[in-house]
Amino acid sequence: MFASVVPIGHPVTIHFDGRPIPAREGETVAACLMRAGVPAFRRTPVSGGPRLPYCMIGHCFDCLVEIEGQGSQQACLVGVAEGMRIRLQNGAAGVGGGA
Amino acid sequence: MPPFPDAPKPDADVIVIGAGPAGMAASVDLARAGRRVIVLDMQPGPGGQIYRGLEANLAEGAAAGALMTALGPAYAAGADLIRAFRGTESIDFRPGHTVWEVRRDGTVGWLQGTKAGYLRAAHVVLANGAMERPVPFPGWTLPGVMTAGAVQTLLKAGQMKPLGRVAIAGTGPLVFLLADQFRRLGVRPVMLARTDRLRDQIGALPRLRLPAVPSLAKGAGWLARLRLAGIPMARGVTGIEAVGATKVEALRLWRGRQLTEVACDLLVVHDGVVPSIDLAQGAGARIEWNQGLQAWQAATEEDGVMVPAPGASLVDGPCRILMSGDARQIGGAEAAMAHGRHVAAVLLAQGQSASRTRLRKSLLPRRFLEAAFPPGLSASLPTGNTTVCRCEEIDAAGLDGLIRAGAQDIDQIRGLSRCGMGPCQGRHCAVTLARMIAAQTGRAPVPFRARPPVRPLPLAALAALAGRDPRLTEIVSLDDKPVVGVDV
Ligand code: FES
Repeated sequence: MFASVVPIGHPVTIHFDGRPIPAREGETVAACLMRAGVPAFRRTPVSGGPRLPYCMIGHCFDCLVEIEGQGSQQACLVGVAEGMRIRLQNGAAGVGGGA
Repeated sequence: MPPFPDAPKPDADVIVIGAGPAGMAASVDLARAGRRVIVLDMQPGPGGQIYRGLEANLAEGAAAGALMTALGPAYAAGADLIRAFRGTESIDFRPGHTVWEVRRDGTVGWLQGTKAGYLRAAHVVLANGAMERPVPFPGWTLPGVMTAGAVQTLLKAGQMKPLGRVAIAGTGPLVFLLADQFRRLGVRPVMLARTDRLRDQIGALPRLRLPAVPSLAKGAGWLARLRLAGIPMARGVTGIEAVGATKVEALRLWRGRQLTEVACDLLVVHDGVVPSIDLAQGAGARIEWNQGLQAWQAATEEDGVMVPAPGASLVDGPCRILMSGDARQIGGAEAAMAHGRHVAAVLLAQGQSASRTRLRKSLLPRRFLEAAFPPGLSASLPTGNTTVCRCEEIDAAGLDGLIRAGAQDIDQIRGLSRCGMGPCQGRHCAVTLARMIAAQTGRAPVPFRARPPVRPLPLAALAALAGRDPRLTEIVSLDDKPVVGVDV
Protein backbone atom coordinates (compact mmCIF):
# COMPACT_ATOMS: atom_id res chain seq x y z
CA MET A 1 0.00 0.00 0.00
CA PHE A 2 3.02 2.31 0.54
CA ALA A 3 6.45 2.77 -0.99
CA SER A 4 9.56 4.67 0.10
CA VAL A 5 10.12 8.08 -1.42
CA VAL A 6 13.65 8.23 -0.01
CA PRO A 7 15.80 5.06 -0.15
CA ILE A 8 16.49 3.49 3.23
CA GLY A 9 20.22 3.98 3.73
CA HIS A 10 21.39 1.61 6.46
CA PRO A 11 18.36 -0.36 7.48
CA VAL A 12 17.87 -2.07 10.80
CA THR A 13 15.99 -5.35 10.69
CA ILE A 14 12.98 -6.19 12.78
CA HIS A 15 10.88 -9.36 12.64
CA PHE A 16 7.13 -9.52 12.28
CA ASP A 17 5.77 -13.01 13.00
CA GLY A 18 9.22 -14.31 12.04
CA ARG A 19 9.48 -12.41 8.77
CA PRO A 20 12.47 -10.02 8.54
CA ILE A 21 11.50 -6.45 7.72
CA PRO A 22 13.90 -3.60 6.89
CA ALA A 23 13.31 -0.43 8.87
CA ARG A 24 14.74 3.04 8.85
CA GLU A 25 16.63 3.94 12.00
CA GLY A 26 14.55 6.13 14.28
CA GLU A 27 11.17 5.35 12.74
CA THR A 28 8.24 3.76 14.50
CA VAL A 29 7.33 0.10 14.34
CA ALA A 30 4.03 1.07 12.68
CA ALA A 31 5.76 2.98 9.88
CA CYS A 32 7.99 0.13 8.78
CA LEU A 33 5.21 -2.47 9.04
CA MET A 34 3.01 -0.28 6.83
CA ARG A 35 5.82 0.03 4.29
CA ALA A 36 6.25 -3.73 4.36
CA GLY A 37 2.56 -4.10 3.61
CA VAL A 38 1.54 -6.38 6.46
CA PRO A 39 -2.21 -7.02 6.12
CA ALA A 40 -3.08 -6.63 9.82
CA PHE A 41 -1.39 -5.49 13.04
CA ARG A 42 -3.99 -7.05 15.29
CA ARG A 43 -7.21 -9.01 15.38
CA THR A 44 -9.90 -7.55 17.58
CA PRO A 45 -10.94 -9.27 20.81
CA VAL A 46 -14.66 -9.07 19.95
CA SER A 47 -15.11 -10.11 16.29
CA GLY A 48 -11.57 -11.16 15.43
CA GLY A 49 -11.57 -8.64 12.57
CA PRO A 50 -8.23 -7.42 11.17
CA ARG A 51 -7.03 -3.90 11.93
CA LEU A 52 -4.32 -1.61 10.64
CA PRO A 53 -3.28 1.78 12.03
CA TYR A 54 -5.97 4.40 11.66
CA CYS A 55 -4.54 7.57 13.28
CA MET A 56 -0.74 6.99 13.54
CA ILE A 57 -0.54 9.46 16.44
CA GLY A 58 -1.43 7.43 19.49
CA HIS A 59 -5.17 8.00 19.70
CA CYS A 60 -6.98 4.99 18.18
CA PHE A 61 -5.07 1.98 19.57
CA ASP A 62 -5.70 0.04 16.36
CA CYS A 63 -1.94 -0.42 15.91
CA LEU A 64 -1.56 -2.64 18.99
CA VAL A 65 1.05 -5.38 18.54
CA GLU A 66 3.10 -7.65 20.73
CA ILE A 67 6.69 -6.42 21.07
CA GLU A 68 9.34 -8.64 22.67
CA GLY A 69 6.65 -10.69 24.36
CA GLN A 70 4.82 -7.68 25.77
CA GLY A 71 1.27 -7.40 24.44
CA SER A 72 -0.81 -4.33 23.58
CA GLN A 73 2.04 -2.00 22.57
CA GLN A 74 1.17 1.00 20.41
CA ALA A 75 3.24 0.41 17.28
CA CYS A 76 2.83 4.02 16.18
CA LEU A 77 4.62 5.25 19.32
CA VAL A 78 7.40 2.67 19.74
CA GLY A 79 10.66 3.16 17.84
CA VAL A 80 12.34 0.27 16.02
CA ALA A 81 15.45 -1.45 17.34
CA GLU A 82 17.75 -3.93 15.63
CA GLY A 83 16.46 -7.47 16.00
CA MET A 84 13.16 -6.44 17.59
CA ARG A 85 10.60 -9.24 17.58
CA ILE A 86 7.03 -8.25 16.88
CA ARG A 87 3.94 -10.41 16.69
CA LEU A 88 0.42 -9.82 15.53
CA GLN A 89 -1.75 -9.04 18.53
CA ASN A 90 -4.47 -11.66 18.50
CA GLY A 91 -7.39 -10.48 20.62
CA ALA A 92 -6.76 -8.98 24.05
CA ALA A 93 -3.31 -9.03 25.66
CA GLY A 94 -2.88 -11.39 28.57
CA VAL A 95 -1.75 -10.17 31.98
CA GLY A 96 2.03 -10.03 32.31
CA GLY A 97 2.72 -9.75 28.59
CA GLY A 98 2.01 -12.28 25.88
CA ALA A 99 -0.95 -12.09 23.55
CA MET B 1 1.89 10.11 64.71
CA PRO B 2 5.22 10.49 62.94
CA PRO B 3 6.18 14.02 61.97
CA PHE B 4 4.51 15.04 58.74
CA PRO B 5 6.84 14.30 55.81
CA ASP B 6 7.97 17.14 53.60
CA ALA B 7 6.45 17.92 50.26
CA PRO B 8 8.63 16.74 47.38
CA LYS B 9 10.84 19.41 45.82
CA PRO B 10 9.69 20.75 42.45
CA ASP B 11 11.58 19.30 39.48
CA ALA B 12 11.27 22.45 37.36
CA ASP B 13 9.63 25.85 37.18
CA VAL B 14 7.44 24.82 34.26
CA ILE B 15 6.55 21.44 32.74
CA VAL B 16 5.42 21.77 29.13
CA ILE B 17 3.42 18.88 27.69
CA GLY B 18 3.79 18.63 23.93
CA ALA B 19 6.72 19.69 21.73
CA GLY B 20 4.67 20.96 18.83
CA PRO B 21 4.69 24.62 17.73
CA ALA B 22 2.95 25.86 20.91
CA GLY B 23 5.05 23.82 23.33
CA MET B 24 8.35 24.62 21.58
CA ALA B 25 7.61 28.36 21.38
CA ALA B 26 6.60 28.51 25.03
CA SER B 27 9.59 26.56 26.30
CA VAL B 28 12.13 28.55 24.26
CA ASP B 29 10.88 31.86 25.66
CA LEU B 30 10.65 30.50 29.21
CA ALA B 31 14.10 28.92 29.17
CA ARG B 32 15.71 32.01 27.65
CA ALA B 33 14.25 34.01 30.52
CA GLY B 34 16.02 31.68 32.94
CA ARG B 35 13.16 29.37 33.88
CA ARG B 36 13.88 25.69 34.37
CA VAL B 37 11.71 23.90 31.82
CA ILE B 38 10.99 20.20 31.31
CA VAL B 39 9.26 19.31 28.02
CA LEU B 40 7.50 15.95 27.64
CA ASP B 41 6.34 14.57 24.29
CA MET B 42 5.07 11.18 23.11
CA GLN B 43 7.01 11.30 19.87
CA PRO B 44 10.71 10.54 19.39
CA GLY B 45 11.58 14.12 18.38
CA PRO B 46 10.30 17.69 18.54
CA GLY B 47 7.90 19.24 16.02
CA GLY B 48 4.47 17.93 16.94
CA GLN B 49 2.33 16.40 14.22
CA ILE B 50 2.63 19.41 11.93
CA TYR B 51 6.44 19.32 11.81
CA ARG B 52 6.72 15.60 12.38
CA GLY B 53 10.03 14.22 11.14
CA LEU B 54 11.16 17.64 9.90
CA GLU B 55 14.43 17.55 11.80
CA ALA B 56 15.38 14.16 10.31
CA ASN B 57 14.28 15.13 6.80
CA LEU B 58 16.40 18.29 6.90
CA ALA B 59 19.38 16.33 8.19
CA GLU B 60 19.18 14.03 5.18
CA GLY B 61 19.69 17.00 2.87
CA ALA B 62 19.45 16.29 -0.85
CA ALA B 63 18.34 12.67 -0.32
CA ALA B 64 15.05 13.93 1.09
CA GLY B 65 14.85 16.86 -1.34
CA ALA B 66 11.92 15.56 -3.39
CA LEU B 67 9.99 14.77 -0.24
CA MET B 68 10.64 18.24 1.21
CA THR B 69 9.52 19.83 -2.05
CA ALA B 70 6.33 17.78 -2.04
CA LEU B 71 5.60 18.63 1.58
CA GLY B 72 5.92 22.30 0.73
CA PRO B 73 6.95 25.54 2.44
CA ALA B 74 4.42 25.35 5.30
CA TYR B 75 6.22 22.22 6.54
CA ALA B 76 9.73 23.60 6.11
CA ALA B 77 8.64 26.71 8.02
CA GLY B 78 9.00 24.81 11.28
CA ALA B 79 12.78 24.53 10.91
CA ASP B 80 13.61 27.81 12.67
CA LEU B 81 11.55 26.99 15.72
CA ILE B 82 12.97 23.47 15.98
CA ARG B 83 16.49 24.89 15.72
CA ALA B 84 15.75 27.44 18.44
CA PHE B 85 14.28 24.70 20.61
CA ARG B 86 17.27 22.40 20.17
CA GLY B 87 19.64 25.33 20.54
CA THR B 88 18.26 26.33 23.93
CA GLU B 89 20.40 23.99 25.96
CA SER B 90 18.75 24.57 29.30
CA ILE B 91 15.49 22.98 28.05
CA ASP B 92 15.22 19.51 29.54
CA PHE B 93 13.52 17.75 26.60
CA ARG B 94 12.21 14.26 27.27
CA PRO B 95 10.84 12.64 24.11
CA GLY B 96 9.04 9.29 24.10
CA HIS B 97 7.15 10.23 27.25
CA THR B 98 3.41 9.65 27.46
CA VAL B 99 1.55 11.70 30.04
CA TRP B 100 -1.25 9.86 31.81
CA GLU B 101 -2.13 12.34 34.52
CA VAL B 102 -1.93 16.05 35.21
CA ARG B 103 -3.05 17.55 38.50
CA ARG B 104 -3.91 21.14 39.02
CA ASP B 105 -1.27 21.50 41.74
CA GLY B 106 1.42 21.04 39.06
CA THR B 107 1.98 17.28 39.32
CA VAL B 108 2.47 15.33 36.07
CA GLY B 109 2.43 11.54 35.71
CA TRP B 110 4.63 10.21 32.89
CA LEU B 111 5.34 6.86 31.24
CA GLN B 112 8.35 5.93 29.13
CA GLY B 113 8.42 2.33 27.98
CA THR B 114 7.86 0.41 31.18
CA LYS B 115 9.07 3.18 33.51
CA ALA B 116 6.70 5.68 35.07
CA GLY B 117 6.69 8.40 37.67
CA TYR B 118 5.66 11.86 38.76
CA LEU B 119 7.22 15.24 38.14
CA ARG B 120 6.27 18.52 39.76
CA ALA B 121 6.55 22.17 38.79
CA ALA B 122 5.11 25.51 39.77
CA HIS B 123 3.21 25.56 36.48
CA VAL B 124 2.18 23.11 33.79
CA VAL B 125 1.55 24.15 30.19
CA LEU B 126 -0.78 21.83 28.31
CA ALA B 127 0.17 22.04 24.65
CA ASN B 128 -0.94 18.58 23.65
CA GLY B 129 -2.55 19.73 20.42
CA ALA B 130 -5.47 18.40 18.47
CA MET B 131 -6.87 15.16 17.17
CA GLU B 132 -8.88 14.43 14.07
CA ARG B 133 -12.61 14.56 14.50
CA PRO B 134 -13.94 11.01 14.79
CA VAL B 135 -15.98 10.07 11.71
CA PRO B 136 -18.07 6.93 12.20
CA PHE B 137 -19.27 5.68 8.80
CA PRO B 138 -19.95 2.15 7.56
CA GLY B 139 -16.64 0.37 7.06
CA TRP B 140 -14.41 2.89 8.89
CA THR B 141 -12.65 0.12 10.81
CA LEU B 142 -11.48 -1.71 7.66
CA PRO B 143 -7.73 -1.95 7.12
CA GLY B 144 -6.80 0.67 4.53
CA VAL B 145 -9.07 3.38 5.94
CA MET B 146 -6.82 6.00 7.53
CA THR B 147 -7.05 9.60 8.63
CA ALA B 148 -5.34 12.32 6.61
CA GLY B 149 -3.10 12.95 9.60
CA ALA B 150 -2.04 9.30 9.63
CA VAL B 151 -1.05 9.39 5.97
CA GLN B 152 0.80 12.66 6.55
CA THR B 153 2.71 11.03 9.38
CA LEU B 154 3.74 8.19 7.06
CA LEU B 155 4.81 10.78 4.51
CA LYS B 156 6.77 12.99 6.93
CA ALA B 157 8.21 10.47 9.39
CA GLY B 158 8.10 7.31 7.27
CA GLN B 159 9.16 9.00 4.02
CA MET B 160 6.66 6.93 2.07
CA LYS B 161 3.86 7.56 -0.36
CA PRO B 162 0.77 5.49 -1.05
CA LEU B 163 0.70 3.04 -3.93
CA GLY B 164 -2.32 1.96 -5.90
CA ARG B 165 -5.68 3.67 -5.98
CA VAL B 166 -6.07 6.39 -3.34
CA ALA B 167 -9.43 7.95 -2.55
CA ILE B 168 -9.78 10.97 -0.27
CA ALA B 169 -13.02 11.94 1.47
CA GLY B 170 -13.86 14.79 3.78
CA THR B 171 -13.40 18.52 4.05
CA GLY B 172 -11.07 21.35 4.95
CA PRO B 173 -7.74 22.73 3.77
CA LEU B 174 -5.80 19.64 4.84
CA VAL B 175 -7.67 17.58 2.24
CA PHE B 176 -6.47 19.86 -0.57
CA LEU B 177 -2.97 20.09 0.84
CA LEU B 178 -2.67 16.31 1.09
CA ALA B 179 -4.03 15.75 -2.42
CA ASP B 180 -1.55 18.30 -3.73
CA GLN B 181 1.33 16.65 -1.86
CA PHE B 182 0.32 13.31 -3.41
CA ARG B 183 0.18 14.92 -6.84
CA ARG B 184 3.73 16.23 -6.46
CA LEU B 185 4.88 12.74 -5.55
CA GLY B 186 3.27 11.35 -8.67
CA VAL B 187 0.26 9.84 -6.92
CA ARG B 188 -3.04 10.73 -8.60
CA PRO B 189 -5.99 10.29 -6.24
CA VAL B 190 -8.85 8.44 -7.97
CA MET B 191 -11.39 10.58 -6.14
CA LEU B 192 -11.50 13.64 -3.94
CA ALA B 193 -14.92 13.49 -2.30
CA ARG B 194 -15.75 16.77 -0.56
CA THR B 195 -18.58 17.25 1.88
CA ASP B 196 -18.44 21.05 1.74
CA ARG B 197 -20.64 23.00 -0.64
CA LEU B 198 -20.14 26.27 -2.44
CA ARG B 199 -22.82 27.83 -0.27
CA ASP B 200 -20.69 27.11 2.83
CA GLN B 201 -17.87 29.18 1.42
CA ILE B 202 -20.18 31.97 0.25
CA GLY B 203 -21.84 32.02 3.67
CA ALA B 204 -18.42 32.28 5.31
CA LEU B 205 -17.36 35.35 3.34
CA PRO B 206 -18.57 37.89 5.93
CA ARG B 207 -16.13 36.28 8.38
CA LEU B 208 -13.20 36.85 6.04
CA ARG B 209 -10.59 39.23 7.49
CA LEU B 210 -7.46 40.56 5.90
CA PRO B 211 -5.07 38.25 7.81
CA ALA B 212 -6.96 35.28 6.32
CA VAL B 213 -6.24 36.23 2.73
CA PRO B 214 -2.80 34.57 2.41
CA SER B 215 -4.09 31.20 3.64
CA LEU B 216 -7.09 31.54 1.37
CA ALA B 217 -4.81 32.16 -1.59
CA LYS B 218 -2.75 29.13 -0.64
CA GLY B 219 -5.89 26.96 -0.56
CA ALA B 220 -7.06 28.31 -3.89
CA GLY B 221 -3.65 27.46 -5.34
CA TRP B 222 -3.82 23.83 -4.21
CA LEU B 223 -7.31 23.53 -5.60
CA ALA B 224 -6.39 25.07 -8.94
CA ARG B 225 -3.46 22.66 -9.36
CA LEU B 226 -5.66 19.69 -8.53
CA ARG B 227 -8.23 20.77 -11.11
CA LEU B 228 -5.51 21.35 -13.66
CA ALA B 229 -4.18 17.86 -13.02
CA GLY B 230 -7.67 16.55 -13.69
CA ILE B 231 -8.12 14.85 -10.31
CA PRO B 232 -11.74 13.65 -10.09
CA MET B 233 -13.61 15.68 -7.52
CA ALA B 234 -17.12 15.42 -6.10
CA ARG B 235 -18.71 18.21 -4.03
CA GLY B 236 -21.61 18.26 -1.63
CA VAL B 237 -21.09 14.64 -0.63
CA THR B 238 -23.69 13.71 1.99
CA GLY B 239 -22.45 10.30 3.09
CA ILE B 240 -19.72 7.72 2.49
CA GLU B 241 -19.15 4.04 3.03
CA ALA B 242 -16.01 1.90 2.84
CA VAL B 243 -16.66 -1.54 1.38
CA GLY B 244 -14.43 -4.59 1.45
CA ALA B 245 -14.01 -7.97 3.11
CA THR B 246 -10.67 -7.89 4.92
CA LYS B 247 -9.53 -4.51 3.59
CA VAL B 248 -11.02 -1.52 1.87
CA GLU B 249 -11.87 -2.27 -1.76
CA ALA B 250 -14.11 0.64 -2.71
CA LEU B 251 -15.48 3.98 -1.60
CA ARG B 252 -19.20 4.55 -1.97
CA LEU B 253 -20.32 8.12 -1.89
CA TRP B 254 -23.74 9.65 -1.88
CA ARG B 255 -24.84 13.03 -3.02
CA GLY B 256 -28.40 12.97 -1.78
CA ARG B 257 -29.73 9.79 -3.35
CA GLN B 258 -27.16 9.61 -6.09
CA LEU B 259 -24.64 6.85 -5.40
CA THR B 260 -21.15 6.60 -6.92
CA GLU B 261 -18.74 3.74 -6.27
CA VAL B 262 -15.00 4.11 -6.78
CA ALA B 263 -12.60 1.19 -6.40
CA CYS B 264 -9.66 2.02 -4.10
CA ASP B 265 -6.85 0.46 -2.06
CA LEU B 266 -6.54 3.28 0.45
CA LEU B 267 -9.29 5.57 1.72
CA VAL B 268 -8.08 8.72 3.45
CA VAL B 269 -10.66 10.54 5.56
CA HIS B 270 -10.59 13.95 7.22
CA ASP B 271 -13.32 15.98 8.88
CA GLY B 272 -11.27 18.70 10.54
CA VAL B 273 -9.49 18.66 13.87
CA VAL B 274 -10.74 19.17 17.41
CA PRO B 275 -8.85 19.98 20.63
CA SER B 276 -7.39 17.04 22.56
CA ILE B 277 -9.19 17.36 25.87
CA ASP B 278 -8.05 14.13 27.52
CA LEU B 279 -5.36 15.60 29.80
CA ALA B 280 -7.32 18.71 30.71
CA GLN B 281 -10.39 16.67 31.48
CA GLY B 282 -8.38 14.24 33.57
CA ALA B 283 -7.01 17.26 35.44
CA GLY B 284 -10.55 18.26 36.34
CA ALA B 285 -11.17 21.02 33.78
CA ARG B 286 -14.66 22.23 33.10
CA ILE B 287 -15.44 20.85 29.66
CA GLU B 288 -17.69 22.91 27.42
CA TRP B 289 -19.44 22.06 24.17
CA ASN B 290 -18.56 24.42 21.33
CA GLN B 291 -21.57 24.31 19.03
CA GLY B 292 -19.85 25.93 16.04
CA LEU B 293 -16.90 23.56 16.20
CA GLN B 294 -19.12 20.60 17.18
CA ALA B 295 -16.51 19.62 19.74
CA TRP B 296 -15.58 19.92 23.39
CA GLN B 297 -13.10 22.42 24.75
CA ALA B 298 -11.60 22.88 28.18
CA ALA B 299 -12.75 26.10 29.82
CA THR B 300 -9.96 28.63 30.32
CA GLU B 301 -9.61 32.09 31.76
CA GLU B 302 -8.60 34.90 29.46
CA ASP B 303 -4.91 34.15 29.62
CA GLY B 304 -5.16 30.41 29.38
CA VAL B 305 -5.41 29.26 32.98
CA MET B 306 -7.54 26.14 33.02
CA VAL B 307 -10.88 26.49 34.81
CA PRO B 308 -11.60 23.50 37.06
CA ALA B 309 -15.10 22.01 37.07
CA PRO B 310 -17.06 22.66 40.24
CA GLY B 311 -17.04 19.91 42.83
CA ALA B 312 -14.55 17.96 44.84
CA SER B 313 -10.94 17.59 43.69
CA LEU B 314 -8.05 15.47 44.91
CA VAL B 315 -5.83 18.51 45.23
CA ASP B 316 -6.64 22.00 46.38
CA GLY B 317 -5.10 25.39 45.93
CA PRO B 318 -5.00 27.51 42.80
CA CYS B 319 -5.00 25.88 39.37
CA ARG B 320 -1.42 25.81 38.07
CA ILE B 321 -2.29 24.52 34.61
CA LEU B 322 -2.28 26.76 31.54
CA MET B 323 -3.51 25.69 28.14
CA SER B 324 -1.95 26.67 24.85
CA GLY B 325 -2.10 26.00 21.11
CA ASP B 326 -4.67 23.77 19.44
CA ALA B 327 -5.39 22.01 22.73
CA ARG B 328 -6.97 25.27 23.90
CA GLN B 329 -8.30 26.64 20.64
CA ILE B 330 -7.90 25.24 17.13
CA GLY B 331 -5.87 27.67 15.05
CA GLY B 332 -3.17 25.77 13.15
CA ALA B 333 0.61 26.00 13.38
CA GLU B 334 1.13 29.75 13.16
CA ALA B 335 -1.54 30.47 15.74
CA ALA B 336 -0.07 27.75 17.96
CA MET B 337 3.34 29.45 17.90
CA ALA B 338 1.74 32.77 18.83
CA HIS B 339 -0.19 30.94 21.52
CA GLY B 340 2.97 29.37 22.94
CA ARG B 341 4.72 32.72 23.08
CA HIS B 342 1.69 34.21 24.75
CA VAL B 343 1.56 31.59 27.49
CA ALA B 344 5.27 32.20 28.14
CA ALA B 345 4.62 35.95 28.37
CA VAL B 346 1.83 35.31 30.85
CA LEU B 347 4.06 33.13 33.02
CA LEU B 348 6.90 35.63 32.83
CA ALA B 349 4.43 38.49 33.45
CA GLN B 350 6.01 40.45 30.66
CA GLY B 351 4.77 41.66 27.28
CA GLN B 352 1.41 39.96 27.60
CA SER B 353 -0.68 42.55 25.88
CA ALA B 354 1.48 42.49 22.74
CA SER B 355 1.52 38.70 22.65
CA ARG B 356 -2.24 38.60 23.19
CA THR B 357 -2.78 40.91 20.22
CA ARG B 358 -0.57 38.70 18.04
CA LEU B 359 -2.45 35.63 19.17
CA ARG B 360 -5.84 37.15 18.37
CA LYS B 361 -4.65 38.15 14.93
CA SER B 362 -3.26 34.70 14.23
CA LEU B 363 -6.60 33.11 15.09
CA LEU B 364 -8.60 35.27 12.66
CA PRO B 365 -8.27 33.04 9.55
CA ARG B 366 -9.80 30.23 11.53
CA ARG B 367 -13.17 31.95 11.83
CA PHE B 368 -13.52 31.87 8.07
CA LEU B 369 -12.25 28.30 7.68
CA GLU B 370 -14.59 26.98 10.35
CA ALA B 371 -17.63 28.29 8.51
CA ALA B 372 -16.35 27.53 5.01
CA PHE B 373 -15.58 23.86 5.82
CA PRO B 374 -18.10 22.72 8.42
CA PRO B 375 -18.02 19.13 9.72
CA GLY B 376 -19.37 16.88 6.97
CA LEU B 377 -18.54 13.20 7.37
CA SER B 378 -19.73 13.38 10.97
CA ALA B 379 -22.66 15.72 10.30
CA SER B 380 -25.35 13.06 10.50
CA LEU B 381 -25.23 10.51 13.30
CA PRO B 382 -24.45 6.87 12.50
CA THR B 383 -27.27 4.34 12.39
CA GLY B 384 -27.80 0.59 12.19
CA ASN B 385 -24.73 -1.59 12.33
CA THR B 386 -22.22 1.23 11.80
CA THR B 387 -19.52 0.90 14.45
CA VAL B 388 -19.45 3.70 17.02
CA CYS B 389 -16.87 2.27 19.45
CA ARG B 390 -13.92 0.89 17.46
CA CYS B 391 -12.34 -0.82 20.46
CA GLU B 392 -15.32 -2.76 21.76
CA GLU B 393 -17.03 -2.96 18.35
CA ILE B 394 -20.36 -1.53 19.45
CA ASP B 395 -22.74 -0.37 16.77
CA ALA B 396 -25.16 2.54 16.61
CA ALA B 397 -28.29 0.38 16.77
CA GLY B 398 -27.32 -1.15 20.10
CA LEU B 399 -26.56 2.23 21.65
CA ASP B 400 -29.71 3.73 20.18
CA GLY B 401 -31.72 0.95 21.81
CA LEU B 402 -30.26 1.77 25.22
CA ILE B 403 -30.89 5.48 24.78
CA ARG B 404 -34.50 4.92 23.68
CA ALA B 405 -35.01 2.57 26.62
CA GLY B 406 -34.22 5.50 28.90
CA ALA B 407 -30.47 5.31 29.53
CA GLN B 408 -29.54 8.93 28.92
CA ASP B 409 -26.48 9.28 31.09
CA ILE B 410 -23.30 8.64 29.11
CA ASP B 411 -21.49 6.96 32.02
CA GLN B 412 -24.46 4.67 32.61
CA ILE B 413 -24.39 3.65 28.94
CA ARG B 414 -20.66 3.01 29.20
CA GLY B 415 -21.34 0.65 32.10
CA LEU B 416 -24.20 -1.09 30.31
CA SER B 417 -22.59 -1.47 26.88
CA ARG B 418 -18.78 -1.22 27.40
CA CYS B 419 -18.80 1.63 24.84
CA GLY B 420 -15.74 3.70 25.70
CA MET B 421 -14.14 1.05 27.91
CA GLY B 422 -11.54 -0.19 25.40
CA PRO B 423 -7.90 0.89 25.24
CA CYS B 424 -8.61 4.22 23.50
CA GLN B 425 -10.68 5.17 26.54
CA GLY B 426 -13.46 6.76 24.55
CA ARG B 427 -11.35 9.03 22.36
CA HIS B 428 -13.13 7.86 19.22
CA CYS B 429 -16.66 7.14 20.46
CA ALA B 430 -17.38 9.70 23.19
CA VAL B 431 -18.44 12.52 20.93
CA THR B 432 -20.67 10.29 18.79
CA LEU B 433 -22.41 8.67 21.73
CA ALA B 434 -22.79 12.03 23.46
CA ARG B 435 -24.35 13.53 20.34
CA MET B 436 -26.70 10.54 20.03
CA ILE B 437 -27.86 11.14 23.60
CA ALA B 438 -28.11 14.89 23.02
CA ALA B 439 -30.33 14.27 19.98
CA GLN B 440 -32.82 12.63 22.35
CA THR B 441 -32.55 14.92 25.36
CA GLY B 442 -32.06 18.24 23.59
CA ARG B 443 -29.21 19.08 26.00
CA ALA B 444 -25.59 19.83 25.07
CA PRO B 445 -23.38 16.72 24.66
CA VAL B 446 -21.59 15.67 27.85
CA PRO B 447 -18.35 13.58 27.75
CA PHE B 448 -17.59 10.41 29.72
CA ARG B 449 -16.30 11.03 33.21
CA ALA B 450 -12.52 10.76 32.92
CA ARG B 451 -10.20 9.72 35.71
CA PRO B 452 -6.46 9.25 35.57
CA PRO B 453 -4.68 7.37 34.19
CA VAL B 454 -6.06 8.81 30.95
CA ARG B 455 -3.83 6.39 29.02
CA PRO B 456 -3.21 2.72 29.76
CA LEU B 457 -0.47 2.29 32.35
CA PRO B 458 1.25 -1.11 32.70
CA LEU B 459 0.84 -2.58 36.19
CA ALA B 460 4.59 -3.10 36.50
CA ALA B 461 5.18 0.60 35.82
CA LEU B 462 2.50 1.58 38.31
CA ALA B 463 4.04 -0.63 40.98
CA ALA B 464 7.41 1.08 40.67
CA LEU B 465 6.33 4.72 40.30
CA ALA B 466 9.14 7.21 40.80
CA GLY B 467 8.67 10.58 42.46
CA ARG B 468 5.69 9.83 44.66
CA ASP B 469 4.58 12.33 47.25
CA PRO B 470 5.50 10.91 50.68
CA ARG B 471 2.66 12.89 52.22
CA LEU B 472 0.22 10.86 50.18
CA THR B 473 1.78 7.47 50.75
CA GLU B 474 0.76 7.30 54.37
CA ILE B 475 -2.94 7.29 54.96
CA VAL B 476 -4.52 6.85 58.32
CA SER B 477 -7.58 4.65 57.96
CA LEU B 478 -10.74 4.76 60.03
CA ASP B 479 -9.38 2.48 62.72
CA ASP B 480 -6.12 4.41 62.81
CA LYS B 481 -3.98 1.73 61.20
CA PRO B 482 -1.55 3.33 58.79
CA VAL B 483 -1.82 2.00 55.24
CA VAL B 484 1.45 2.43 53.45
CA GLY B 485 1.99 2.68 49.74
CA VAL B 486 -1.27 4.16 48.57
CA ASP B 487 -0.76 7.13 46.31
CA VAL B 488 -4.04 8.83 45.61
S1 FES C 1 -2.37 4.04 14.91
FE1 FES C 1 -3.78 4.99 16.23
S2 FES C 1 -2.84 4.64 18.16
FE2 FES C 1 -1.37 3.89 16.81
